Amino acid sequence: MKKILALALALTMLCAASLALAEPITLQLWSIATESDSSHQAFVDAIAAFEAEHPDIKIEHSPTENEAYKTKIKAAMSSGTELPDIFFTWGMGFLGEFVDAGRVVCLDDYYPAYADELPEAMTVNVRYDNKMYGVPYTMSLVTLYANMDLLAQVGYDHIPASYEEMQACCEALKGAGIIPFGVSGKELWCLSEYVEPLVIKSVGGDKLRDMYNGVASWNDEGVIKAIAAFQEMVTKEYFDPSAAALGNDEVKNNFIAGKYAFYQNGSWNNKDIGEQAKFAVQAGTFPVLNPDVTLYQMIGGPNNTLAVTETCEHKEEAIEAAFYLAKYFSDADYKSGANLPCWAADPKAEVGPLIVSAADMAAKADNMVLFGDNFLSADAANTYLDYIGLAYALEVTPEEYAEGLDADLK
Amino acid sequence: MKRPFSYKLNIFLFLLPALILFIGVLIAPIILSGYYSLTEWNGLKTPVFIGLANYRELFSSKSINIMRALKNAMLLAVFSCFIQLPFALWLALKLSKHIRGERVFLSVFFMPVLISTVVIGQLWLKIYNPDYGVLNMVLRGLGLESWTRIWLGNKATALGACFVPILWQYVGYHMLLMYAGIKGVPPELNEAAMLDGCTEGQVNRYIIIPYIRPILRVSVIFAVTGSLKSFDLIYVLTNGGPNHATEVPSTLMISMLFLRNRYGMGSTIAVMLIVLCFAFALLINMAFKEEK
Repeated sequence: MKKILALALALTMLCAASLALAEPITLQLWSIATESDSSHQAFVDAIAAFEAEHPDIKIEHSPTENEAYKTKIKAAMSSGTELPDIFFTWGMGFLGEFVDAGRVVCLDDYYPAYADELPEAMTVNVRYDNKMYGVPYTMSLVTLYANMDLLAQVGYDHIPASYEEMQACCEALKGAGIIPFGVSGKELWCLSEYVEPLVIKSVGGDKLRDMYNGVASWNDEGVIKAIAAFQEMVTKEYFDPSAAALGNDEVKNNFIAGKYAFYQNGSWNNKDIGEQAKFAVQAGTFPVLNPDVTLYQMIGGPNNTLAVTETCEHKEEAIEAAFYLAKYFSDADYKSGANLPCWAADPKAEVGPLIVSAADMAAKADNMVLFGDNFLSADAANTYLDYIGLAYALEVTPEEYAEGLDADLK
Repeated sequence: MKRPFSYKLNIFLFLLPALILFIGVLIAPIILSGYYSLTEWNGLKTPVFIGLANYRELFSSKSINIMRALKNAMLLAVFSCFIQLPFALWLALKLSKHIRGERVFLSVFFMPVLISTVVIGQLWLKIYNPDYGVLNMVLRGLGLESWTRIWLGNKATALGACFVPILWQYVGYHMLLMYAGIKGVPPELNEAAMLDGCTEGQVNRYIIIPYIRPILRVSVIFAVTGSLKSFDLIYVLTNGGPNHATEVPSTLMISMLFLRNRYGMGSTIAVMLIVLCFAFALLINMAFKEEK
């Protein structure tokens, strides 16, 4: 009897051990792809595809709303415990602080296997001391969306190509009782989507990048001219007079509802605007302020990124998953019209007209400088946005703006 | 037979769990905040001790502008003490007179306290919306088009527009405190005064209000310290904007901690708030004692 009991016990232990061995690895993924996000379905599909190809790996996805996510990931990185294995991040300043603190895995040894599909130029915003710490998947450009039906009412069949023509167009729109531009004055980053294109089209991309890097002075004629043009748009009431009280979602919905002639924001809006707008819509870029600067000096670049934490228990699997998911998102976001791909795209893919315009602008771009609030560190980015808010509220002159930024961002 | 509670050790042992909890969740974080306020720390690297530099910067930096935030919080405290509390007292006095529907009114006035602040914030955002908000629609309907405003987007009106829902939300809370106090006044005091020919106003002024003075003191402390700590509704309505016009110390602290990664400076603001709340609580206590 004792022998039978011992045998049964041994068999039970063996079964338990084999079950434990077969248990899949679970990777935690944090992102901003909540259900209302245009990338949500791509995340769901990519995870399902990865799990089907890797039955021994399971991915637990925890999406959090954009602003709350920033707080969540920063708090987790501060504590250094309970970090996810893979996390969504923006490039340059945002990821840079985590890299600086040693919380992120360097991907230099793994990148060569994917170099054919992910061009090195696309990794520029996730490199620190020339080492790669993230896998970018989509890139965004500041895009000027135009309601062509409203423009047609004032005799325009194209997006104005020169600054003077843009001013004349805005005056005509105002005369017809149409608000030229929609912007959220409540969310300062939305104001920067107007200021930065004006600055880059006044000083050029190289100089703007040097300003962000602290190499060139902000106290520059071109910056002063750009801010003067921005404030002229405010004083001439080209922006929605209610802008200061509206959030970006409200403004975007107003544009989609046909309230504004133009809406300038990131190209991540392509899908929503393309699918929901009931009018003819075109995507383009704001005209130049300085004739010496070319039209396709663009604000934007590769930005949405996945990275792997140093505390990750299964690094090899997490890195493999990060590359796999990034490639999948890049492809899915492009095909769904949500955003431009960082990875080599399928040339036969049928995509919407707005994403074609964005791809065209990216192809023509002579220079791309990342969004200022992503480029700069958190503290500097908020000082920078504060100045943009002050310029919008006409509380600083263009000269004070340039002098102030020069002094405070040093 | 020995009485177990006569032993000091037993008393200490029974109090120990609560003491550990109290130190762990209240005292230790305050001490840690005090330490971090003396450091330069981005939340990721090791904190660097910088002495009182954060305090000097806090009170001298134009970009932080703590004085504006404190002025806004103090203004809210003044409105709380001189508008919210008198109104709550008036309601409590009226409701305690056995009027019809006393319970219903109590529930109605207390309801905003029970609703989530975020829900209230969203509700008032809709009321203030410049295009479809009830406030501007009513003004337009009354032919007062020129009175319509972008209530939360205009620097001149944003602070006042934030104060209205804050004051409205907690009227019911103070009313209930005072109502409970009034109900505790011995009826024979009121009856004796009435027999002596006192009017209702005189009974309120000379009997009820002096009797509930300890409750009034608590209400004033809550109103003032609550104003200094005010955060949630302002965060939902304006997040300190436009251009920092509605900034209060707590929104400034959150901005320093989570937007700018300046954990040292955020802790400095936290310490300042703790000191101010204690100081005001002591001052109010002293003021009420002197009146005795």
